[in-house]
Amino acid sequence: MYKKLFDVMTGKDLDTVILRISDNASIPFDPDNTDYQEYLEWLAEGNTPEPAE
Amino acid sequence: MSTLAVDAIVDSSNGNTTTINGTTPTAYNTMGKNRIINGAMEIDQRNAGAVVSTASVNPYTVDRWQVVSNPASKFTAQQNAGSVTPPEGFTNYLGITSSSAYSSASGDQMYILHNFEGYSVADLGFGTANAKTVTISFKVYSSLTGTFGACLRNYGSTRSYPFTYTISSANTWTSVSVTIPGDTSGTWVGASNAGSMILFFNLGSGSTYQGTPGAWASADYRSATGATSVVGTNGATFYITGVQLEVGSVATEFERRPYGTELQLCQRYYYRVESATNGNGQFFMGMNYDSSTFYGILPLPVSMRANPTLTTGGTFRVNWPGGGGTTTSSPTMNQVLPTSAWMQAGVSSGRVGVADLCSANNDTSTYLGCSAEL
Repeated sequence: MYKKLFDVMTGKDLDTVILRISDNASIPFDPDNTDYQEYLEWLAEGNTPEPAE
Repeated sequence: MSTLAVDAIVDSSNGNTTTINGTTPTAYNTMGKNRIINGAMEIDQRNAGAVVSTASVNPYTVDRWQVVSNPASKFTAQQNAGSVTPPEGFTNYLGITSSSAYSSASGDQMYILHNFEGYSVADLGFGTANAKTVTISFKVYSSLTGTFGACLRNYGSTRSYPFTYTISSANTWTSVSVTIPGDTSGTWVGASNAGSMILFFNLGSGSTYQGTPGAWASADYRSATGATSVVGTNGATFYITGVQLEVGSVATEFERRPYGTELQLCQRYYYRVESATNGNGQFFMGMNYDSSTFYGILPLPVSMRANPTLTTGGTFRVNWPGGGGTTTSSPTMNQVLPTSAWMQAGVSSGRVGVADLCSANNDTSTYLGCSAEL
């Protein structure tokens, strides 16, 4: 469902954006963003995103 | 010619309904009186007039207007579906076409909806003793006749005002206006970027979502009891335009905003930049950060409601001076603000630390879409 993105600049996974796999959408970590709200609900169900490539 | 120099003009009852050349100027019917965005259905950034399937979840049709078919695929939506002549003064409408003769179950949801941001309606004072009366007006055209349903509801799904309207003549544009007393109860989101209220136009929702028309109820309704079902008739059509929600008990002339203004109002919620018709549209400047990563900044034309989600379509490339270039992965975001997005894409250009340009890869389907919808 979701996958982490890797940040070349920091050498770490991004802590600002998550990728929704179904449509390759970049979803920002913003509580006012409805896609992010859905992501939080998905996490709350016990799911975890795939690791970054 | 003479000049009228007075301190006040009021109607004979000392009210505020005096007309001047057919209009009644008040503090609420000047620029911005219509709280609906894209009520004339003219902006269609996502679909450019193409048919919208309802197989996917709650798709957007023309900007700011969403459709729900649950179960899926009971109708299609399209700007100017059926190519009928719009009502006088309009050039576009949103058209719904039923895909079958479907008998809705009690929990089915079938409707068109428009979300209102708190900032757009906070002054209405809903949920307070000072709640203002509003009037909703629109023009509607259907292959069906009868009593149709709609509803104004708060975002928390706890306060609803179902209402009905009548279409007496099939395949004829009918003007409708409905006045709704302001809701003095319930919780309504005020001046913020969160959702505050929703206007529903029913297409065949089940009984669970139908309420008694003409009264506020502490319930989650989307339509009125006994409303005609558009999805109940195969091939039935339902077209709508000129939707306006304004303060007061009188429906005034539809507010004509400049196209550029209306587009900017839409872009607060969705912004789409497309490849040009030659498939080589330029999207953003950037830099080859290392041998595999291209970074760039996409400016957003207005401050969006929230940090937007980025979606993409088609194929991309980076171009450099002298006609060179190579394909990239579809861009993703690294960070984003309501005013700009930091983009990143995988690329093997062999160029490190130099600036290049990200564009469509000779692909007319390529686009970047930024959504901050409610």
